[in-house]
Amino acid sequence: MIMPLLKGLQITFSHMFKKPVTLQYPTERPAIKPNFRGLHVLNVSHDRAKCVACYLCPTVCPAKCITVEAGEDAKHDKFAAKYEIDMLRCIFCGYCVEACPVDAIRMSETFELANYTRGDFTFTKERLLEKK
Amino acid sequence: MVNLTVDNKQVTVPKDATIYDAAKSAGIKIPILCHDKKLHPFGGCRMCLVEVEQMKGRLIPACTTPVTEGMIVRTSNDEIIKARKLVLELLLLKHPIDCPVCDAAGDCDLQNLTYEYKVNCNQFVDEKFNHEIDYVNPIIERDMNRCILCGKCARICDEIVSYGAYSVINRGLEAKIGTEFDGPLNCEFCGSCVSVCPVGALISRPFKFQARWWALSKVKTVCSYCGTGCQLTLGCKDNKVLTTVYDEDQGFHNGQLCHRGRFAYQFVNSDKRLTTPLIRKNGKLVESSWDEALALVTERLAAAKAAPASLAALSTAHLTNEELFLFEKLFRGTLGSDNIDHSAGFAHAALTEGLKASFGTVASPSEILDVQKTNLLLVIKTDAYETHPVIGFEINLGVKRKGVDLRIVSDKRGKLGKLPGAQTTVHTPGSEILLLNALAKVIVDAGLADAAAPGLAELKAALAEVSVEKAAAATGVSADEITKLAKDYAAAEKALILLPIGLGYPGHNAALAQACANLAILTGKYGKEGSGLLVMGEKNNSQGAADLGIHPKGSGLNGSAIIDACVSGQVKTLFVAGENPVVSYPNRAKVEKALDAVEFLVVADLFLTETAQLADVVLPAVSFAEKSGTFTSVGRKVQQVKQAVKPVGLAKSDFDILNTLNASLGGQTYANQNELFAEIAASVPAYAGLSQTALGDEGKLLPVAPSAKLVPVAAPASAPVAGKLALVTGSALYHSGTMSRFGEGPMLVCPNAYAELSAADAKVLKIEDGDAITVKSETGSVSVTAKVGYRMPQGVVFAPYHFGEGSINAVTDGKPVTWVTVGK
Repeated sequence: MIMPLLKGLQITFSHMFKKPVTLQYPTERPAIKPNFRGLHVLNVSHDRAKCVACYLCPTVCPAKCITVEAGEDAKHDKFAAKYEIDMLRCIFCGYCVEACPVDAIRMSETFELANYTRGDFTFTKERLLEKK
Repeated sequence: MVNLTVDNKQVTVPKDATIYDAAKSAGIKIPILCHDKKLHPFGGCRMCLVEVEQMKGRLIPACTTPVTEGMIVRTSNDEIIKARKLVLELLLLKHPIDCPVCDAAGDCDLQNLTYEYKVNCNQFVDEKFNHEIDYVNPIIERDMNRCILCGKCARICDEIVSYGAYSVINRGLEAKIGTEFDGPLNCEFCGSCVSVCPVGALISRPFKFQARWWALSKVKTVCSYCGTGCQLTLGCKDNKVLTTVYDEDQGFHNGQLCHRGRFAYQFVNSDKRLTTPLIRKNGKLVESSWDEALALVTERLAAAKAAPASLAALSTAHLTNEELFLFEKLFRGTLGSDNIDHSAGFAHAALTEGLKASFGTVASPSEILDVQKTNLLLVIKTDAYETHPVIGFEINLGVKRKGVDLRIVSDKRGKLGKLPGAQTTVHTPGSEILLLNALAKVIVDAGLADAAAPGLAELKAALAEVSVEKAAAATGVSADEITKLAKDYAAAEKALILLPIGLGYPGHNAALAQACANLAILTGKYGKEGSGLLVMGEKNNSQGAADLGIHPKGSGLNGSAIIDACVSGQVKTLFVAGENPVVSYPNRAKVEKALDAVEFLVVADLFLTETAQLADVVLPAVSFAEKSGTFTSVGRKVQQVKQAVKPVGLAKSDFDILNTLNASLGGQTYANQNELFAEIAASVPAYAGLSQTALGDEGKLLPVAPSAKLVPVAAPASAPVAGKLALVTGSALYHSGTMSRFGEGPMLVCPNAYAELSAADAKVLKIEDGDAITVKSETGSVSVTAKVGYRMPQGVVFAPYHFGEGSINAVTDGKPVTWVTVGK
């Protein structure tokens, strides 16, 4: 009868001498693993987004949260005139990154995505572009 | 028939089949890149290599090798796969791997085969091409870096379109598909080359980067421009029609389309579409609700019911059979007015009056497939190519592949006359009937007439006055030429006459149709395969409108008479469904005056057209892509139109509009348009026993039982007016009616009204190509752009009628020929 109680207290006491598990977020920051899938970033090369609007990411996206509209630039080349991710629908599966044939999208370590209005969760191309 | 074995399967095929055809009939797929079932075998790509037991030691191309008895074919083994992989590696050596930005991705034969054969590395290394990309023309982008030299574009342009815009230039590694002097592409822009290109070397610019192929929902329907009845696959996304998708198994034309069919679909989702009903208040059209607009229309129509003679209704032949049937039920049935018509009254008279008198039916006794089955084809006006381009392709194929003897009787030269062996008889404008009567006279005099032809005695009596010599003088065609043409026509085993009709051709009336029918009846060339007369209605459902009787039957007024009656004040209420008389009916000033004078004008249309701008109530209607129903083509084929996208804004189909009006005015209500088709099938003899579901994808050919009778026709006198030029109107190749103005393609290629005159006249008048000129007649004058060419005979001017600005109906008045002066 008393033995299980003592066993439990022994575990409790032992933890008093161990490193705490709880992370004191936000004063303490978590160490993020290299393959973490956070907010999407559109890669930039030569001062423009690498994205060529091939539509593979909206095609593969299981949550149907990516909207791409292609445009034709002055040199008749294809570029993403519109690139939007609805972060409320995104399931952070990373298929978009896998599908991208031109390494135009990656997932960053940013995980703090809380916001106040629904509109704020629509990430336009400008918001997604890599900041340097 | 030949028996052979393909992959252990016994196959029996006709003796002219190839190994590829034999495999296809057995359901075995052999990969191809350069082969197309519409084109002659080419054997350029070597993808279709197979092994034949009797020819061991080398691999045989399946697409060019004819079958022989007892052949044993293997379509796949290690050696074959290795050879095909090598072909792909060699192609990919030069082909840029820019699939992410290439519009063909997803529908690319090279991409599909590369994936299927797992070509993921290349044993060869070489530089890619660095050809300049042709962005000059607004319709077709040519990126020759992506080209795999299958030659399909050059072959389709030559074999079917007969334009010959492309050819392979240079040799070896330098070889590429080039244009005239390797310059920018400037052609008919039918887009046949784009449709057959297996890669993305040729792409449609209006569709460039709009959507990926796999994201499109594909809806099979029927084109809504001319009467040919081409089947069409619309590519739609997000409730918008974005493109037309090529399907080589569609229709008699095997997916071939003309410029407007392929590039003029944008009117469906045009920004200019009407989205709400409009009511005129204080002289201005303001937006309103459907309830308010329909209540007002109902009130005015109910008031007009008491005096049906003061009510008239004009419809367009773009409506479906079901809508036209309901249109007739509402105005002739519920409201009791016989003043209903379409196409100005003259553009369908060849069918409703001409053929009715000659053959006892309002439908042509021939079908489109007869074009390739005949021996001698007599085309009235070279414009048959411009009005119905896909029938023009059939003519090209008939002449080039089947050896059809092509004769053209026309007031100008044109593309058809350039076909091998084609002979164009150029006559003076307006003398068609006289010329046809002279042909009949020669046939009668030479004793070539069928003695049993009904009405022969009357015709002989009427022809007694016709003299070939006098006709030769009046038509400008030599007596020898007339005699030869008549004798050749009579001597041909099978002969077919093509007669295009339409709003631009006031001379192509009942009399001309009867004159044509007389030739066919006189020589017994009708009612059998490859012989007869094909009267080609201008609009997609011109034949349906004729079948369903959308024209005055008793003492009612026809289209032109309705306009006159509006001016005189006899017609006080006018309902216009989709027609644009201000631009398309003769004498614009009179039509505008009539529409101003009429007390209450309702227009149901897709756009705020020149006619709708004058209306008291404008109702937004929907296009063919937003509704279901049936169209009847020139060749009497009833085909299903299927809804592809939802109606724009608040727009409603003409069925919905007419159904609501009919119900509120005391007529019958229909739950959906299928019910109307059932009623058509029950009440219109030609449609007996049909149902919409039974039509299927292919459609059904309506039966026709001609009871022929020769009807003597008097040729109208057409004397030239000294010092004036003869203006003939018609259709431009890129346009159809007035709706194609809202399609992107036609407006990029042919945006402005023009008048075409001969180089000789232009020299005398000191006019150069591209000059702004004024065309003046007794009726009025109009400024258009001059086009100087060699196809017009001296003294003749041609102008298409489609345009709102510079509309040629400002100078015409419904006569076959208008005498005009032309100046800068």
